[in-house]
Amino acid sequence: MTGLTASSLSAAGVKAAPLLTAQGVTIRFGGVTAVKNINLSVRPGEILGLIGPNGAGKTTLFNGLTGFVRLSEGRVTLAGRDITHLQPQARSRLGMARTFQVERPFEDLSVLENVLVAAFLRHRGRAAEDHAYAVLERVGLADRAAQPAAELNLARRRRLELAKALALEPRLLFLDESIAGLNPPAQQEMVALIRELAQSGLGIVMVEHIMHVIMTLSDHVICMAFGELLAEGTPAAVAAHPDVIRAYLGDDHD
Amino acid sequence: MTTAATLPRPRALTFGNLWLSGALLLVMALYPLVFGKAMNFGVSTLIFAGLAMSWNILGGWAGQTSLGHAALLGIGAYTMTLLATPERLPAFLPAPLAPWWGALIGMVVAVALAAVWGGLTFRLRGSYFTLSTIAVALVLRLVAINSEWTGSSEGLFMPELPTLFGLDLFDRKVEYGLAFAFVLLTLVVTHLIRRSRLGYGLQAVREDEDGARALGIDPTRMKLIAFMISAALTALGGSIYAIYLQAFEPHTLLELPISVQIALMAIIGGRTSIQGPLIGALLLSIFGEVFRTVFSNANLLIYGVLILVVTIYAPNGLMGLFRRGGLKLGVNR
Ligand SMILES: Nc1ncnc2c1ncn2[C@@H]1O[C@H](COP(=O)(O)OP(=O)(O)OP(=O)(O)O)[C@@H](O)[C@H]1O
Ligand SMILES: [Mg+2]
Repeated sequence: MTGLTASSLSAAGVKAAPLLTAQGVTIRFGGVTAVKNINLSVRPGEILGLIGPNGAGKTTLFNGLTGFVRLSEGRVTLAGRDITHLQPQARSRLGMARTFQVERPFEDLSVLENVLVAAFLRHRGRAAEDHAYAVLERVGLADRAAQPAAELNLARRRRLELAKALALEPRLLFLDESIAGLNPPAQQEMVALIRELAQSGLGIVMVEHIMHVIMTLSDHVICMAFGELLAEGTPAAVAAHPDVIRAYLGDDHD
Repeated sequence: MTTAATLPRPRALTFGNLWLSGALLLVMALYPLVFGKAMNFGVSTLIFAGLAMSWNILGGWAGQTSLGHAALLGIGAYTMTLLATPERLPAFLPAPLAPWWGALIGMVVAVALAAVWGGLTFRLRGSYFTLSTIAVALVLRLVAINSEWTGSSEGLFMPELPTLFGLDLFDRKVEYGLAFAFVLLTLVVTHLIRRSRLGYGLQAVREDEDGARALGIDPTRMKLIAFMISAALTALGGSIYAIYLQAFEPHTLLELPISVQIALMAIIGGRTSIQGPLIGALLLSIFGEVFRTVFSNANLLIYGVLILVVTIYAPNGLMGLFRRGGLKLGVNR
């Protein structure tokens, strides 16, 4: 089933030590196993794409890796340190950042204030405000800085999610469907931004349903179905894998 | 039309509307000059305004509704009075303490209680905290009623107090000054929180705990800090209230209606606004006074209706209504 693992290893070659590793991650809710024995690793500057049909367990895996859901089994390390039992807030301080699939802005706060909350993790006072504003400029939301976050449309909410994550100045970024639902020009901008972030040394794990996006951006792809690993390897190898075509592309063409 | 490029860069780190606070303080400062005959009303209104502001640091900023703040009020009142009364001193104290030292100790006791209480309950989600506040206040009331050293159900009488800078603490004008200083302090603290990292952390926790955790914020810690600040200020208000009352019973000080009244003032005024609780306290006190004389028993009914109307039509209180109107104006400009 996982015949692509060898080629992926050689593709990764002898690069920097992994930023994130997950070993045997299993997450059960009562009797339901949402994630089963997943292994992965991400190096600085690397983009790991995570695909799979609806309900495959991608978001649950994210929640497990970022500390929002307790692992039933398995182990997670960040830069060599075991973080399996750390709270999400402690992981953020160590350099993990995530976006939420269903965006969740602080609705009573302005766009700038939303990002400021995150900027306070590493900055104080005016420096935090300056940093928050700079991040807004980077994601193209600076003109909305004073607007209440509740009034943003979907595309801008997605950017706000990203802005908040980036304001934490992370080493590792989890993006849960940041691109789906955007119009094509906005998609292009987001793709360019993500590529730029990886080039600056960030490790990125991204979930995305839009195949051509995941295929152009990812260095390595993991395909899940029913919580289990279906295939992994280079984007081209995974896209050509018969199980993937059957399970994923078969019912969810793009 | 202005374009994005010409818009000035907005600021998030402001102290909030200082003009409004200044205007409110001015009104409060002028009150004794105009209504010198109604000082009792003035003092109690100001004390409750300060209490509503103190409540709101936890209830509004951290979003944790307490219906037990009477317990903290009681701790301030009892601690100060007990330590100032020669016959009731604990054995290790050679002489009664001046009320300001007593008030300070009351604040410390309240903060310690809040730390333990919050530490136990804030880890649980949902309404557990609110339920616990009712329980803690109930327990404290029972202790006060059943303990000889707290004066049992008769409560305490304020003894002779030393003068403060030559001022008689039982002079209503001096008490008004104390209450005014209390409101001023709560207002300054709130403005400082508004501008701080703490304030934004609290608001994030109020809006969405998981969203806050993703940004490196520990919700339990944030709520604890808010509770401790709120407890310290409420206990201080309790000490001032004790001086104003001169005599108090557990039945008048530690009852649920007192807790509810403090919470309502903040909620009706607007708990997401800096001055909301203050405005709510002023308005409810004035209406309460009018209703009491005009409607006598229908008083409570009107309170009830008011609460329903506000929670349904203005979940962010009166100040929330104003802010919404202001935003609309801003867009149409
Ligand atoms: N807290 C929970 N309790 C019980 N079951 C859960 C919980 N969270 C997720 N699940 C279940 O786990 C499975 C995986 O869901 P998950 O949201 O991780 O899928 P996904 O791959 O992100 O899907 P999508 O592409 O639709 O976002 C689903 O069957 C879901 O119902
Ligand atoms: Mg998902």
